[in-house]
Amino acid sequence: MNTPEALQSAALDEIELASGSPQLRELELKYLGKSGQIMLLMRELAHLPNEERPSFGQRVNQVRAAVQGRLDERAAELRVNEQAAQFTREQIDVTMPGRPMRVGYEHVLQQTINRIKDVFHSLGFLYLESPEVEHFRYNFDALNYPPDHPAMDDQDTFYIDDEWLLRTQSTAIQGRVFERMAPPLRVFTIGRTFRNEAVDRTHGHTFHQVDAFMIDEGIGMAELKGTLGLFARAMIGEDVTLRFRPDFFPFVEPGVDYAISSPKFAGGRWLELGGAGLIHPNILEHYEIDTQRFSGFAFGLGVERIPMLAYGIEDLRHFYENDLRFLEQFRNLATP
Amino acid sequence: MKFPYLMLRDFVETRLDADEVGELLTMAGFELEGIDSVEGDAVLDIKVMSNRGDGLSVFGLAREVLAKDSEAAPTDLYKRACLRFPAESDHLVADGAIRIETPDCTRYAYRVFAGTTNAVAPDLIQQRLRQAGMRPISLLVDLTNYVMLEVGQPLHAFDFNLLKGETIVVRRAAAGETLTTLDGVLHDLRDGQMMICDLDRPIAAAGIMGGAETEVSATTTRVLLESAHFESRSVRRTRKQLGLNTEASYRFERSVDPEGVVGALNRFAELLALGGGGFEPEPGVLDVYPSPPPIRTVKVRHSRAEALLGITLTPSESAGYLKRLGFGVEGDGEPYSVTIPTWRPDVVREEDVVEEIGRIYGFDRIPERLPRGTTIRGGTQGALKTVDELRSQVVRAGYIQILSHTLRDLHALDARGERIGPRQPAGPDTAYLRNSLLPGLAEAFRRNGGRDLHLFEIGKVFAKGPGQGGSPVIELRKLAAVTQGLLYPPARPKEQPPLADFFSLKAGLHAVLNRCELSPTTSGDERYHPGRAAAILEPSSKSVLGYIGQIHPNAAAAAGLPADLCMAEIDLDGLEGSTTKVHYRPVSRNPAVRRDITVTIAKAVPYADLERALRLATGQVLERLWLVDLYEGPGVEDGEHAVTFGLQLRKFGENFTDEEANLVRDVAVKALFELGGKQR
Repeated sequence: MNTPEALQSAALDEIELASGSPQLRELELKYLGKSGQIMLLMRELAHLPNEERPSFGQRVNQVRAAVQGRLDERAAELRVNEQAAQFTREQIDVTMPGRPMRVGYEHVLQQTINRIKDVFHSLGFLYLESPEVEHFRYNFDALNYPPDHPAMDDQDTFYIDDEWLLRTQSTAIQGRVFERMAPPLRVFTIGRTFRNEAVDRTHGHTFHQVDAFMIDEGIGMAELKGTLGLFARAMIGEDVTLRFRPDFFPFVEPGVDYAISSPKFAGGRWLELGGAGLIHPNILEHYEIDTQRFSGFAFGLGVERIPMLAYGIEDLRHFYENDLRFLEQFRNLATP
Repeated sequence: MKFPYLMLRDFVETRLDADEVGELLTMAGFELEGIDSVEGDAVLDIKVMSNRGDGLSVFGLAREVLAKDSEAAPTDLYKRACLRFPAESDHLVADGAIRIETPDCTRYAYRVFAGTTNAVAPDLIQQRLRQAGMRPISLLVDLTNYVMLEVGQPLHAFDFNLLKGETIVVRRAAAGETLTTLDGVLHDLRDGQMMICDLDRPIAAAGIMGGAETEVSATTTRVLLESAHFESRSVRRTRKQLGLNTEASYRFERSVDPEGVVGALNRFAELLALGGGGFEPEPGVLDVYPSPPPIRTVKVRHSRAEALLGITLTPSESAGYLKRLGFGVEGDGEPYSVTIPTWRPDVVREEDVVEEIGRIYGFDRIPERLPRGTTIRGGTQGALKTVDELRSQVVRAGYIQILSHTLRDLHALDARGERIGPRQPAGPDTAYLRNSLLPGLAEAFRRNGGRDLHLFEIGKVFAKGPGQGGSPVIELRKLAAVTQGLLYPPARPKEQPPLADFFSLKAGLHAVLNRCELSPTTSGDERYHPGRAAAILEPSSKSVLGYIGQIHPNAAAAAGLPADLCMAEIDLDGLEGSTTKVHYRPVSRNPAVRRDITVTIAKAVPYADLERALRLATGQVLERLWLVDLYEGPGVEDGEHAVTFGLQLRKFGENFTDEEANLVRDVAVKALFELGGKQR
């Protein structure tokens, strides 16, 4: 019969020699299991004289504790090594490409339009749309164009028939709005406009135009400039400065073109964005708006111009060719 | 307008160099297009606004420089130009020598010069004309051009000896008359075109171009120098009809100062004398002026000017600005009275005068201020908001938005119906208004490799009208998509992602289609595969909003597209009023039970009918219903298939017992039997 001490020594030796968790589990069964060697040794107790039993029991329990303790320690040591091996085995190359989901995105002009709308919405402007095939009356007459005026030279127009045409400016919405709504009002629209122009890098027969206007009491050039300044800074950046210069459009008086300058673009040169001014009193009077009480401003700008300036896009035609190598560069336009 | 900087200096003493003058004019509304060095001198190219004909002369631009640059001073030449070059010569009564027979000629004057040799103009004149982009021709012609450049008044020299009779008649052409213009082109004149005529025939197109038959030449010894004023509309109409565009017509179409007519003749005589050419003026200017412009005054309120400009300034400041521009200012009350100079027909009402004050004050100095006023509900509302929402939902489903041209040529995927387009398109590319978004999508699909693409567009398409308000077109907002190939790119070798088909497109367009019903028909639309397409119906009216389906193989071949491409096009305007309602149900905390049922049934019975029958039969306790298996083959008759549904059942507040669940299952099976299903 083994003495408890001899059993302990044998067990600890075997534990030291175990090379993996499975062997440890076997040793645990062999020594500490229900019919393991320590249990067997404990059964020897019955054959001992009474006076020896307590001390023998105590010695066996010490052996059990020592074996269990060493088993646990050894298991922890082995687990560290084994997991290290597992991690090596399971290692992946994290530099491989991700597993792509299919993600759609909006056209760069749509994203620009969305941002323009956000700015005007935040200023309380109502977004409306009007037809792309427009009556001459709204495109020209209602905007104070005198018949046969040379200003019409600038806009060689696609006529459908004698009266209807592809609108040359989204400003054509103004007459339609004034027929239905009374001031105070703040309205804007964004849409396609058409000019019978030869197509090249900076000219197209189609482009998108914003037209925004408000009529209220106390609206003057300073309010126009304030609104445009806020708009330009929201769209392009806080470091944008705005410049007004006299210009002529039949539907505004005074009329200006506005340019922006930012250290980010074109070395801070002035870049013209669009036309603006106070809504011509002839128009207000035509729609029976009290010009003693109300005045208004209006301004327009080309949507394409904004990404062209912001990203240095060199050719207007890219916007309608739908080459995904172009479009995907702008899949997530950030706000400046 | 191009002119050498030194010509401006003839009129203005200023310390500003050419660049600075360009900047000043730009900020006054006369935009500098560029400065070139021509023959050693700076030449400014200025873009003149279409309503500012007075800016089409060096004198007119000098006025702007003097108004904006308070340190500049007028030269003697400028002062005499203001006085219209007063001359000693008598003002003769025309006495029948000029007959104006049309109201489109407001003034006609001429002076006769006699001499020997129409040789060459002085070098300086020739050089400056070249710098301004004009070709020196002869002494007489060059001086007319030079005076026009200086003061903006077009002049024309006739060889007086070649005129029939000594009478000038300004009248409308009669049909059948002809005129050969200086450029050698013979024009058949139309009734109503304003002509300068002698007693026999037209000798010049009024305000546009002289005739070849009376052109001055090297042998000319007697010259009739015309200086006149014509109505812009008449000049514009005639020059368009004749297909001409000249320095003269350009100015008359905008505006020319009728009061400067005689001054220009006098300036011509001055330059002729200075140049020492062999011509001397005969005494007297003949001048017929049937309709001098009325003296116009505008009442201006100083407070109004301040309010519209958003600035404060003293009344004397604004009066100063106006006077420097040649306006008369009378009184200092509220309102005060402003007399409009004859060269400014564009200034008509108070706001126009306010603009002048602002221009000289400087629009760049106006402060920025945000509007105060009535708060109104803004934003995008109603149907327009729906369009925005649908767009972002289709994007979220993985489709890329494109924008294609409204104007285009014909395409195999055009919709049916009579086409409409501009009556004068720029070319075949702009001949038609699109009547479908599918052609643009097809082109984008091909451009980007022609496979594995999922694209959509939202935009207007046009059908032949009559439309709203008598429009020749019906304008419809559509959403269309094309999809084909791998639904997502394979990330690793040998991976095979699923392919796009009718059902992936149907799911992708769920945001739109869940407001609609599908009906298995293409209504004969030859763009869609008749067995794999459906009409999209507005649920209440059952009107067709569009189609969804696989492309017809013939259309695919014609359009150069793969035959497994699927596409859809939907009228979004027709969706208006459709809304998706939320029916909230509290979430049950009781466990669910599942029952599967299998029946064999004719394949002709649509899945939707089975689903509808199951939902109707099981009611509220049916939490989820899905297709578990679809089988055809051995053990199932031809034309039939075995369908297995999974039913997830749950009650609120109590648990399902097995018996209850079986009861629901039996009801469900019975519902399918009623549709022709049989026990498997």
